[in-house]
Amino acid sequence: MSAADADGWHRTSPFAALFYLGKIYQAIAKNAVQSLAPLAAFLVAFQGDMKAKLVIGIGAFVLGTFILAILRYWFFRYRITDTSLLIRDGVFKRTQLDIKFERVQGVNTEQNVIFRMLELLTVSFDTAGSSGQEGYLPAIRTESARELRDRIRHVPKIGDAVDSQGKMDRPDTTTRTLLRLTAGDMVRIGLSSNRVFLVVVLIGPISEYVEQEFGEIVEESAVVEFLTQAQTGLMSGLTFGLLLALGVLILLFSISVAGAFLRFHRFELVADEGVLRSTGGLLTRHEHSVNRSKVQSLQANQHVVLRLFRRFRLRARQASSGRVDRGSDFIVPICTGQVLVDLGLEFFPGEFTGLSLDPRASRFRRISPYYLRSHIVLIGVVPAILATALFWNSSGIAAMVALLWIPACAVIVWQKYRRYGVLYGQDGLVLRSGLIGFSVVVWLHRKVQRVSISQSPFQRRRQLATVRIFLAAGPAIRIPYMEHAKATALRDYVLYRVESSEVAWH
Amino acid sequence: MPSDCQGHRVFENPEISLDELPSADDVEWRSLAARYVRRLQVQSLITATVAVIGVVVLQAAPLPITQRWLFGLAWLLIGINGVSGLLWPLVSVPHKGYAIRDKDILYRSGVFWRTVTAVPFNRVQHVETSSTPLDRYFRLAALQLFTAGGSGGDLKIYGVPADVAESLRLFILEKAGASIERS
Repeated sequence: MSAADADGWHRTSPFAALFYLGKIYQAIAKNAVQSLAPLAAFLVAFQGDMKAKLVIGIGAFVLGTFILAILRYWFFRYRITDTSLLIRDGVFKRTQLDIKFERVQGVNTEQNVIFRMLELLTVSFDTAGSSGQEGYLPAIRTESARELRDRIRHVPKIGDAVDSQGKMDRPDTTTRTLLRLTAGDMVRIGLSSNRVFLVVVLIGPISEYVEQEFGEIVEESAVVEFLTQAQTGLMSGLTFGLLLALGVLILLFSISVAGAFLRFHRFELVADEGVLRSTGGLLTRHEHSVNRSKVQSLQANQHVVLRLFRRFRLRARQASSGRVDRGSDFIVPICTGQVLVDLGLEFFPGEFTGLSLDPRASRFRRISPYYLRSHIVLIGVVPAILATALFWNSSGIAAMVALLWIPACAVIVWQKYRRYGVLYGQDGLVLRSGLIGFSVVVWLHRKVQRVSISQSPFQRRRQLATVRIFLAAGPAIRIPYMEHAKATALRDYVLYRVESSEVAWH
Repeated sequence: MPSDCQGHRVFENPEISLDELPSADDVEWRSLAARYVRRLQVQSLITATVAVIGVVVLQAAPLPITQRWLFGLAWLLIGINGVSGLLWPLVSVPHKGYAIRDKDILYRSGVFWRTVTAVPFNRVQHVETSSTPLDRYFRLAALQLFTAGGSGGDLKIYGVPADVAESLRLFILEKAGASIERS
């Protein structure tokens, strides 16, 4: 591992300074104004020419960060006991962290290019009840990290079942590969990135403007001359604009695909003793693990492009004390429908019977058609009539254009209604929703934290209700426009399952 | 889990009829304290008084305010807010209530949009009672139940008599602590 002092405290590799350097620069980037203010003040106050100012200023900045990184490495010590990992950290503000192995829910690792050459890893821990306090070991040897992980894995976790002989109840002891992503998958991930599509949507309205502006700028340029010579005639400007837009699009797609390679290259998902572990990344290898008992819900998404590829994206939301951000979600960036079924069984073993992550499963039941009526009236008819009345005096008959919103809204509401579907299972529930694509959320009844039933005056008249399910991770799940009798039966059944469950929800 | 005569745990898995499940609708709702209406009305009066003083001072002060109609609007808002603050509690408070069962707590609210929320005791992380000076004057407290997860806030019941809130807190804590679960 590394040299230890008399008390068993270890230092990590000196290359940990590189890790701290990265952290320092990250912190500076986050708080750019505050962090760089002293440097700016120095540059203003220092007497001398600009060149000397810059050289000394930047030199002092780089030197300062290097010294701080080395100091952080120097003051970082860790000690592994039988039951916990102790960490002493901090240069000015000293902290001691005691990470109990029994509380560790997941071990994540990161390995950048330099660390890979040196066979070093940075390990971080997901702990229950950590309230956002981050425990990590920078730049420890790969072998040591593996030993530590094995050690943590074989310590009984809080709440683990122990039989009468004191043995752990661990049915699954083999490592199985569930998914490997290929280069083709990287391209699919890149092409289906939401960010690219956001840009495409934004480019649409401004493309005309861009075309016009560029048309003026390059009017006399060689490009136009070339296009004219190529006898493209009056269409040349338009062609150029389209080519430009296409070029930008190809560039964006290329960046997105490159991003997918960087993050998910050689992505592999394995199941290992109740833990699901994913590894991937081109330059920096990320390893992310999740204890499947911590997973609260699974969400499969399939937007338009993923639908073309017949692929899904899976998000496993896990309860993480003190953190409810998206960062604690376990992501499978792309997978086929078959893998999706396997993953459902893997995340909720023994309780996935009758459930499905496939949005095309035939057993989905529709919500009440009254959803259509109330939503078209509330979102479509009322605002359209109000807008028409508002602009009638100023615009006259043209104000009637606002009424076009009614059929447009009706189409959207109809599509949303068609997408809504509920699939009732003995141990859990599936909710399908969406507009153009699909989103399917699956959860287990026994993991529910709270449940509520709401009724609007209209719903009360029609004996309908909206059910909200609150889980320990992710936003509340809303099932709109159920029959009231079914909603109360569902609530009573969920309460029964929660209150009679002897299995921990986390 | 039940045990046989040798002390071994016996696995039982009886079939459950959905019709036999206890319904959360067949409960006896406990109303909030009647004085909670007065407490809300007093709060509205205090707010309105502060607003009235503010507007009077602004009107009297030699400020270069040319849009005098803004004061008319302020008086109108104060009037609407004051009247609704006095009348609305008379309507809304009777629609609120809670019910304690052996394994969960139910809370209902809403005049037009009605909601019933159920929180099982074995999902409660901790329980808190809190009271403002005005609450204490009326011997009231708010009972707040925290469950895991950040979705939609936690269950908070205002207008519970202070002594009832404290005994409920202890009761729920005991119930929450008694639940034993395994992974």
